[in-house]
Amino acid sequence: MNVFLRELSAYRKSTIIWCASLSAILIVFMALYPAFTSDVAATKQVLGQFPEALRTALNISLSDFFTIYGFYGYLLNFAILAGAIQAMNLGTGIISKEVAGKTADFLLSKPMTRGRVVSAKLAAAFTIIVITNVVFCGVSYLAALMVATETFAIGTLLLLASTMFLVQLVFLALGALFAVLIPKIKSVIAVSMPAVFTLYIVGTLGDVLGNDKVRYMSPFKFYDTAYIIKNVGLEGKFIALEAAIIIVAIAASYVIYIKKDVRASA
Amino acid sequence: MNVIETTKLTKYYGKSRGIIDVDMTVAEGEIYGFIGPNGAGKSTTIRTLLGLIHPTSGSATIFGKDVTASGPEIRQEVGYLPSEVFYYDDMRVIDLLRYSASFYRKDRTAIEARIKSLAELFDLDLKKKIDDLSYGNKKKVGIIQGLAHEPKLIILDEPTGGLDPLIQQQFFHLLKEENAKGATILFSSHILSEVQKLCDRVAIIKDGSIIKVEQIKTLLENSTKRFKLELVETPVASAFAVDGVSDLAITNHSVSFLYRGRVNEITKMLAEQDLVDFLVEEPDLEEIFMHYYKKEDEQ
Repeated sequence: MNVFLRELSAYRKSTIIWCASLSAILIVFMALYPAFTSDVAATKQVLGQFPEALRTALNISLSDFFTIYGFYGYLLNFAILAGAIQAMNLGTGIISKEVAGKTADFLLSKPMTRGRVVSAKLAAAFTIIVITNVVFCGVSYLAALMVATETFAIGTLLLLASTMFLVQLVFLALGALFAVLIPKIKSVIAVSMPAVFTLYIVGTLGDVLGNDKVRYMSPFKFYDTAYIIKNVGLEGKFIALEAAIIIVAIAASYVIYIKKDVRASA
Repeated sequence: MNVIETTKLTKYYGKSRGIIDVDMTVAEGEIYGFIGPNGAGKSTTIRTLLGLIHPTSGSATIFGKDVTASGPEIRQEVGYLPSEVFYYDDMRVIDLLRYSASFYRKDRTAIEARIKSLAELFDLDLKKKIDDLSYGNKKKVGIIQGLAHEPKLIILDEPTGGLDPLIQQQFFHLLKEENAKGATILFSSHILSEVQKLCDRVAIIKDGSIIKVEQIKTLLENSTKRFKLELVETPVASAFAVDGVSDLAITNHSVSFLYRGRVNEITKMLAEQDLVDFLVEEPDLEEIFMHYYKKEDEQ
């Protein structure tokens, strides 16, 4: 419990900043909704003149874009990109900080198994992600409530919002795995940013090229907004894929962390 | 009873040598010195005992329990101070010490009281942030962190670096007190005089192997000193042909040699010389290895 609480308190400030930033993205974007929907026909015409490839790259679907779900789903792309960075930073940082900060000698010479150290850290990271998403869902709902011109189903909106949580979990697990695989991490950002953006670009390229298989390669494409809006549900095979990735990454993180030699820092 | 026992303990980092076949026994209540030059394998041995690194082969037990299988249980009763201390910069000293204490199944109020008294002894401000501490003060945090839970075994890996002489003296005094209360101490160092001050027995490690385990008393009797003399006249080599003199070098008016044996014998000889200046110093470890252990090496 002590390591868990220690990590929560160490990440308190950064969690507050992330929650505030994600809320700001939501509020600013949602505030634009009335402007886009005041004259749907005109806006549709402007967007319709964009080349189709550009629309796909920007994730704009003319049929959904002007509904509250569609508009929210659109901005969600960017929020999720930011959320992925938060989650990957967290996963990489929380596991690698003892080695990077040379505090491994202190922590790992305490009477605690390494397995329990990892569990406490991952539990803290998971808690932080849950807190972030509770705030994110709450702000999403409130923002939608303010700008929506017609009634909307809270279930659909929250299901859309929950994809943030699911994508963050994948990146949290990947972050933990990277933290144990890379011997000396000097800067967490230098690890997480390239990983997140590579996967994001892979996903976007897949969209532009119309290649459906790419969806399996980028967590950003696991949960398709159009599908969720239409079916009010998530695609089972991608939930299974996500679960598999998380289990493998976390299991490998445990094994490597437990076996690793902690060499003298000098 | 032996507190520490290692059997053919070996560690390779990939292909590079850490330690080879280290057999070491530390009895309960003993202050055991562990001496050798940098890179000889002191830290590797200690880190293996603490479970920070995993042995390639061989085994080690502490309190009769295997270090790999029962690590956390063993470490309940171990206090460790590394040569270089690093803590969480964002914490205050007292928070770190409480965090450290929270790992042990011991009475919190007793540990808390001990943290306070040790901080007073070392004149350490508990409210300061770790980040704002000088190196010496960080080291004090390390000492308190290692001793606050009154461990039965204290493991110190070159602990004196960065401590000023006064604090070092207090620290050694504290260690002797802990030892008197029953704590066993493993003390690694590359400074012979430090080990001499504190330890009962000393193991000398070189190139990953323990080459000698000796009572400090014996070591002192056989202690080797380096003499450097400045004379009025050009010295004659034959005057220095005393038993125990080795590595004799004469240049102009100065003489340098190693002497191993009774101090009285050499002072008699020195009294006959017309000296301008003279200096006696501890030979460094390399010199000890080269001269004191020449015979063992040749065997």
